[in-house]
Amino acid sequence: MKRHFREWSVAATLGLLLIVLAITAPGFFRTRQLLSTLSTAIPVLLVACGMAIVIISRQIDVSVGSQFAICSVLAGLLVREHWPVAAAAAAAIAAGVCLGALNGFFVAALGLPSIVVTLATMVTWREALRWCREGEFVRDLPSGFQWFGLGQLPGQLSILAISVALFLFLAWALKYLSAGRFAYAIGSDAEAARLAGLRPRWITFWVFVLLGGLTAIAALLNAVRFTDIDPKTGTGLEFSAIAAAVVGGIAISGGRGNLWGVLAGVLLLACIGPALVFFRWPPQWEKALQGLIILAAVTADGWRTKKQS
Amino acid sequence: MNFTLRSSSSLSELLLFVALILEIVIFSFTGSNFATKNNLFEILRLSTEIGLLALVMTPIILTGGIDLSVGSLLGLCAILFGKMWRDLHFPIALAAFCTLAIGAAGGLLNASLITRLNLPPLIVTLGSFSLFRGLAEAITRGVDNFTDFPASFLFLGQGYLPGGIPVQVVVLLVASVSIWLLIHQTVFGRSFRAIGFSSEGALFAGLPVKKRLTLAYVLAGTVAGLAALIYVARVGQAKADAGTGYELLAITAVVLGGSSIFGGTGTVHGTLLGVALLAVLKVGLILSDQPGELAGILTGALLLAALSGNILLTKFLMRRAAITK
Repeated sequence: MKRHFREWSVAATLGLLLIVLAITAPGFFRTRQLLSTLSTAIPVLLVACGMAIVIISRQIDVSVGSQFAICSVLAGLLVREHWPVAAAAAAAIAAGVCLGALNGFFVAALGLPSIVVTLATMVTWREALRWCREGEFVRDLPSGFQWFGLGQLPGQLSILAISVALFLFLAWALKYLSAGRFAYAIGSDAEAARLAGLRPRWITFWVFVLLGGLTAIAALLNAVRFTDIDPKTGTGLEFSAIAAAVVGGIAISGGRGNLWGVLAGVLLLACIGPALVFFRWPPQWEKALQGLIILAAVTADGWRTKKQS
Repeated sequence: MNFTLRSSSSLSELLLFVALILEIVIFSFTGSNFATKNNLFEILRLSTEIGLLALVMTPIILTGGIDLSVGSLLGLCAILFGKMWRDLHFPIALAAFCTLAIGAAGGLLNASLITRLNLPPLIVTLGSFSLFRGLAEAITRGVDNFTDFPASFLFLGQGYLPGGIPVQVVVLLVASVSIWLLIHQTVFGRSFRAIGFSSEGALFAGLPVKKRLTLAYVLAGTVAGLAALIYVARVGQAKADAGTGYELLAITAVVLGGSSIFGGTGTVHGTLLGVALLAVLKVGLILSDQPGELAGILTGALLLAALSGNILLTKFLMRRAAITK
């Protein structure tokens, strides 16, 4: 309990919010509403998990929003060119992996600071996409693309199932596979990890590749929810993902945190918007409250460490 | 080794300067009305807000910190300024003064979380980035905007002094000179670099590290308030989305100008070169009938090229120094 103080306190806050909602606004828990809240949270969750692993390795990636947009638009364009959905999905994931690999190359091979590298790629990809598409939506998607051609409810359920499976695998792998522990090792002390026989540069590279792949999957699961694809999609996603990871107890200095905390962080931040609607508050307060939650979470952490020392 | 590293940093500034001259030469051939006095002033006029933010971002990055919240704080200051003037009927000068105070308070919030609780600046300012913009949206309900400011105030952003000099360029000039003097000519200003180089070392050397950090963030907040006033005066209206993305442009300019994101090295004139490079690129491409998106793409590419070039150059110089030794 004491070891996972942050994770538990975020989960407790989330629980409290849900109890209050259950009493005052049972409508929040209607299947349709709950599924819609969850399917909004799912893309953020997948990106936040990848982001958490990147942050655990003591790097950061602010370009995920642009990667997300590129993968969404690419998938949409390909299915419109009559590619089978599976092939288009594979191509989009490959694109995400390549974009992540490019970030990884600059950070790992050249040793450049990840925040600046990804800031540069964030601007470049976003503007390149705007240049190619001129802001045009990808419309007229074939009917087999939306909800994978399953219809809304089965579609939502299959998205949920895919993400739950992916999340469980990642949470398990990060904790029990040696590859997962490598991320913690280089995030805690890259030099010590190197002396222990790990190769920090390769691990850093693969961590970015993983985030790129997860971003692409998130983009796909998001794109199938709509009838058209906005090229501006994913704007600000990097900030939501980093915020959720940090609220969930991932230390920005690397080497600490786990994905269950990230899950609690994502759900807490995702519930604010719908909760405001049910509390009859103006929805414009969402961003301010999310900011307050981030500040409160880190303040509580800082205060605790200060008291301990 | 010290000598060669130092010369590599001034060499990168020289390269940046050459790039700027090259840009200007190219655009004066391709662009219509590019190489004119009026266009020069126009470029300066449009880059004043980013320039101010980049100037105050420099000491923060020198200390090894970062401030993601300046763009959001600009937006919050802008709409609070409008609110005070229109709804609370403050005289315009008082409203402007209060706006600067609000900016300073925003900076102080960041500073106290960073220094008192030892929290990482990236995360604290990520939180306030969201908080400030969110407050701006909540106060305006996302739709309200403030217009019809008196002409005497709009003069700050739209007026010209004799000789065709835009008013805000004077502000930018004064700010540049004062920050340059502060960072490069005073012992006080050197402490920012000392903190970035090694904050523990600075503390043991007797520097009041927390006070200096607080000053850097409060300065950034206050100047974000000033930039908000200039922004509102230039555009003629205050909306909740004012200054969106400005923090990233300011950071880009500072890093392009040769400051290390880890702190310790960097110069104010480098930052100004970075701002100029970005502003000339943007205006030059537009005047050359090129799509505006190209500016963003080239900015990113330039940033990566500058960083990669710098690191390869440093490695090369260090290796040569090792051989000659």
